Amino acid sequence: MKAAAAILIAGVLAAQADPPAVNRDAAIVNEFEKRVASYLKLRQDIEAHMGRLKTTPSEEKISHHEGDLRHKMREARAGVREGDVFTPEISMEFRRLIGLAMQPANAAHIKQSLRRSEPVQLHLKVNDKYPAPVPLQTTPATLLENLPKLPSEIEYRITGRDLVLLDAKANLVVDVLRGVFS
Amino acid sequence: MTVRQAGIPLAALACVLAAIPSVADDLPLKSGSTRFAVIGDMGTGDKPQYEVAAVMEESRRKTAFDFVLTLGDNIYGGSSQADMKKKFEDPYKPLLDAGVKFYASLGNHDNPNERFYKPFNMDEKRYYSFRKGNAEFFALDSNYMTPEQVAWLDKALHDSDARWKICYFHHPLYSDARFHGPDTDLRARLEPIFQAGGVRVVLSGHEHVYERVQPHNGIYYFVLGNSGELRDHDLKRSADVAKGFDTDRDFMLMEIAGDQLYFQTISRRGETVDSGVIERTQK
Repeated sequence: MKAAAAILIAGVLAAQADPPAVNRDAAIVNEFEKRVASYLKLRQDIEAHMGRLKTTPSEEKISHHEGDLRHKMREARAGVREGDVFTPEISMEFRRLIGLAMQPANAAHIKQSLRRSEPVQLHLKVNDKYPAPVPLQTTPATLLENLPKLPSEIEYRITGRDLVLLDAKANLVVDVLRGVFS
Repeated sequence: MTVRQAGIPLAALACVLAAIPSVADDLPLKSGSTRFAVIGDMGTGDKPQYEVAAVMEESRRKTAFDFVLTLGDNIYGGSSQADMKKKFEDPYKPLLDAGVKFYASLGNHDNPNERFYKPFNMDEKRYYSFRKGNAEFFALDSNYMTPEQVAWLDKALHDSDARWKICYFHHPLYSDARFHGPDTDLRARLEPIFQAGGVRVVLSGHEHVYERVQPHNGIYYFVLGNSGELRDHDLKRSADVAKGFDTDRDFMLMEIAGDQLYFQTISRRGETVDSGVIERTQK
């Protein structure tokens, strides 16, 4: 009886120490989403003081809003370093998810899509602007299906071998995950 | 030939207008029909773009199309105020002044914030739909096809009671151009939805040529990415090419009259390089 109880307790302790993989993966994705939400909250707070960008016939207003927003975000994120969103644990999870997306059934399509959408070679850093003359490489639909959902104005972008988290409205690099694509 | 064009204080445009070739006006031009033009990969700001735009204006005077679909790469090399003026507002000034509305889709060279630019009529959205007569048009962002966009399209197509459903976006699902080739990942996601949703016509750019692809699963695919840019002689010989044109720039006219959709592709020289009619089929 004592032995059975000991096994039961040991089992419970083991379960607490080593949660099931699915829960662990979900927790990591949840942590990623929290970090993105935190970025977006900062962006929204800053934008609330600037006034929301609305449809306008003036491209100057659009460019000015984008530039002003980027400038203020850079100031607010002055101490941010690469890996603040893509922490080591989150990075590992992303590499796993990208690996899943690149299973043989989809790999050929994804690689073809990457090849045919004007691949770009950029070495972007956190808080960089995505340079205007450089085209945006398509992020393959199959890849997007396998990555955590993002708020509508934050995007996954591919530059060379890197996965970039880009704030499209401010045109600002939020974080970079290096060397995920071969 | 005489061109009645006044009030455009732009020397460059005036030079272009002085040399506008005669433009065919062959579409059926049926009473009450929906008429529109299509352009892609046009935003260079170079002379050929202005020349195509001038032929479009000449065509508008004859066919009275009242809106234009853009297939992306609307503005190359940045979208400052000066870029917008040189690469959109000036070349298309006669059309804009005549009240023609442009409905843009985004290409890989476009800043996504172009969705806030009023003359592009995107309502601040990267993908959207609008209705004209018995046709509904679905502008997609093929640069960033999220599951949310796919779900939106699926629902919007099913909810639409339009007799004609036309999707347009930048990256082609089928193409016989050498430079890029089709996006088969995108095709795997979108084509089943097009089929289930009753889409009959799909328009794309990206390749700097014109190609009418042989129909696939009842859907007519057009590639038109040479309204400003051109990749000379880039089309492969292929049985999948129903008609190709890769030696000059062009734009396309479309007219929807009941169960017929007429198309006519017109070169920078004013010549019709392709034309035909597509019959609507039941979903």
